[in-house]
Amino acid sequence: MSALESVLAAMIRTATPLLLAGLGELVTERAGVINIGLEGAVICGALAATVAAPPLGVAGGYLSALVAGAAVGVLMATFVVVLRADQIISGTAVALLGLGLTGALYHDIYGAGGVALTVPTSRSFDIPVLSGVPVLGPALFQQPLMSYMAFLLAPALAWFLYRTHAGLSLRAVGEAPHAARAAGVAVDRFRVGAIIFGSALGGAAGGVLVLAQSGTFAEGMSAGRGFIAIAIVALGRWTPTGVLVASLVFGFATAMQYVVQALGWPLRYELVLTLPYVLTLVALVLAPRGAAPAYLARTD
Amino acid sequence: MSDAAAIALIGITKRFGAVTALDRVDFGLRAGRIHALLGENGAGKSTLMGVLFGLTSPDAGVLELNGEAVRWQSPRDAIRAGIGMVQQHFSHVPALTVAENVALGGRGRFDVAQAAAEVTRVGTKAGLAVDPMARVADLSVEAQQRLEIVRALAHGARMLILDEPTAVLAPGEATKLLAWLRRFADDGGAAALVTHKVREALAIADDVTVLRAGRRVATGVVNEFTAESLARAMFPEERETRAAPRANPQPGAMIVSAERLAVRGAPGEPGIVDATFALHAGEIVGVAAVERSGHTALLRALAGLQTPGSGRLALPPEVSFIPGDRHRDALVLDFPLYENLALRHLGTRHGLMRWPAVRARTSRILEQFQVRAASGSSRARSLSGGNQQRFVLARELDAHPTLLVAENPTRGLDLAAAATIHARLLDAAHAGAAVVVYSSDVDEVLELAHRILVVHNGVVREVPVTRELVARAMVGAA
Repeated sequence: MSALESVLAAMIRTATPLLLAGLGELVTERAGVINIGLEGAVICGALAATVAAPPLGVAGGYLSALVAGAAVGVLMATFVVVLRADQIISGTAVALLGLGLTGALYHDIYGAGGVALTVPTSRSFDIPVLSGVPVLGPALFQQPLMSYMAFLLAPALAWFLYRTHAGLSLRAVGEAPHAARAAGVAVDRFRVGAIIFGSALGGAAGGVLVLAQSGTFAEGMSAGRGFIAIAIVALGRWTPTGVLVASLVFGFATAMQYVVQALGWPLRYELVLTLPYVLTLVALVLAPRGAAPAYLARTD
Repeated sequence: MSDAAAIALIGITKRFGAVTALDRVDFGLRAGRIHALLGENGAGKSTLMGVLFGLTSPDAGVLELNGEAVRWQSPRDAIRAGIGMVQQHFSHVPALTVAENVALGGRGRFDVAQAAAEVTRVGTKAGLAVDPMARVADLSVEAQQRLEIVRALAHGARMLILDEPTAVLAPGEATKLLAWLRRFADDGGAAALVTHKVREALAIADDVTVLRAGRRVATGVVNEFTAESLARAMFPEERETRAAPRANPQPGAMIVSAERLAVRGAPGEPGIVDATFALHAGEIVGVAAVERSGHTALLRALAGLQTPGSGRLALPPEVSFIPGDRHRDALVLDFPLYENLALRHLGTRHGLMRWPAVRARTSRILEQFQVRAASGSSRARSLSGGNQQRFVLARELDAHPTLLVAENPTRGLDLAAAATIHARLLDAAHAGAAVVVYSSDVDEVLELAHRILVVHNGVVREVPVTRELVARAMVGAA
């Protein structure tokens, strides 16, 4: 593989979990909820995939990751929608709980040192013809199935948000819940659904980390991807297309750190990694008011 | 067509904690008729309409649709039964388009073109034009109201509830809306018109019901009532009388002078161009304007909150401002009153707080301006709307301003509370201040002002204090 090919392939690979979690967070935020607990969903999904994949296979692992993420979503929704607790505080608690709980469970299941795990991983699925295209082919069309699904999810969500009544209701809930309620929209049901959906995708992102990338579990291996997903939604200006592009930007920056290290450029690779965050801050400053859902993070 | 009410509310009772908002109230709508619901603020009008529309579930009483008992779980049930409501605070989503707002609440696929065509079809049929692709946030208040009606009609409403629909409209627009409502009823629709304007009810309604403190105190067909009898039913006790007669005072010293003044408007709002006027001690100058005319820029400049773009504006050193949105701009609702008192001109003070002095001053002005609060330590939120506004006004007047600028000073207050605010403004003028009052209710401006400045399209000009001339100037017809 050429250097360009490896950068592109690494970009897609690292972008996949971010895209999944980001699209999930996009749906949640469009319902007016900022899910800081997403990080907890990602790490729980990763552990669930680790535990379930050896007996059940890769598909079973992904399914378990989705369910584990959804369970974290149920917890988050209970705090935020049922109990009307503050979203930031509840979310932080849920994120820390997920990180702590998975660490403890991992020790309980696999012992203090952690056994050398053999987790089945998803093979790459080569798309006929396209994977043969020079440079682009190996990078873009020799990826695990989950990557293709993540990238197809973006247009599917765009269709849902802008072409279905449920999508319209969801957007209205995040903009003006009282008006939505008066229009007969079951506001709380949409919020709960959006949180669980977003967290389930967070869980799937955790599944990708284990089943398509590392092949093993490590404590805290989510490494802030749940939080990055929140930044991605902001950088992507709360649209599916934007989230897709923003995920690629983060993926590209991560891929660049390898290049910088490999080629021995006189540049701290950590600086390259900060680039997307700088972009996010710039995007937040430049974003016109009204890009974010008007009721985001409000409990009233 | 049977004579039975299309929908009837019978013996409705609703309690909020210890407060009985509705006490065994009957109300009904019939095809072809407009039923006016009158009462002052807090009489229970909005709660009763909430029950009718399924927003509020009653503690006792029944709803009968064409003689059959029904129960609404949510507005969705009421909408399905053919009821539509235009709420006082519009209930649409500003960030969405007109078509999206109308489609909201539906199921299945959402087709923009189809939704837009539906809006156009319903709007054309009803004689209410709205652009289906316009973003609602960009529409005028009047167009937003039209959207709300079109949306109700698109959902199949044959019974319309309009909650204080003319409160946000200029006089000409209000007349148009009421004429439209009459046609709607004549075509077989039924309507509930919630209002506190007696004249409006007498002019347009077929039936009238008056609520007072949650009870129905009068009901009947419209020709059984006069303006006097309705006002008596609404307000049994005498209203506080005007503190001073209208007699134009001898103009005092010049307090404010503006020459060829230009002020930029907030984004999306026009500013003021080339305004020349003077304000004198002892006079109340009313500002009349419809939404987005530039009056906001004028008031902000007079309050010293915005620097003029060009021209000359001479302001006195002590200016007080009563903002239109007291919850957002004048009070911190969860702070105690004494801390709220200390907020005045906070940005220009520094150093240590002298709390004992602030508390003492708070107690004094609560007494002096008859603000009903348990103590100076009560949270602003715990006061009624009227007392909150009395407090805001007291805070400003206690500083003895030479210029007082008030924006919608009685918004949301009942007539008795509004009357005490009016009396305070007159007192301030008597004491030698120049007072500027803007109200979206043109009748309030006419009642208070010695002189009137009308703002239209950024042009400020003085108009004689007569309703007809002011109303015409507000819409640029003069």
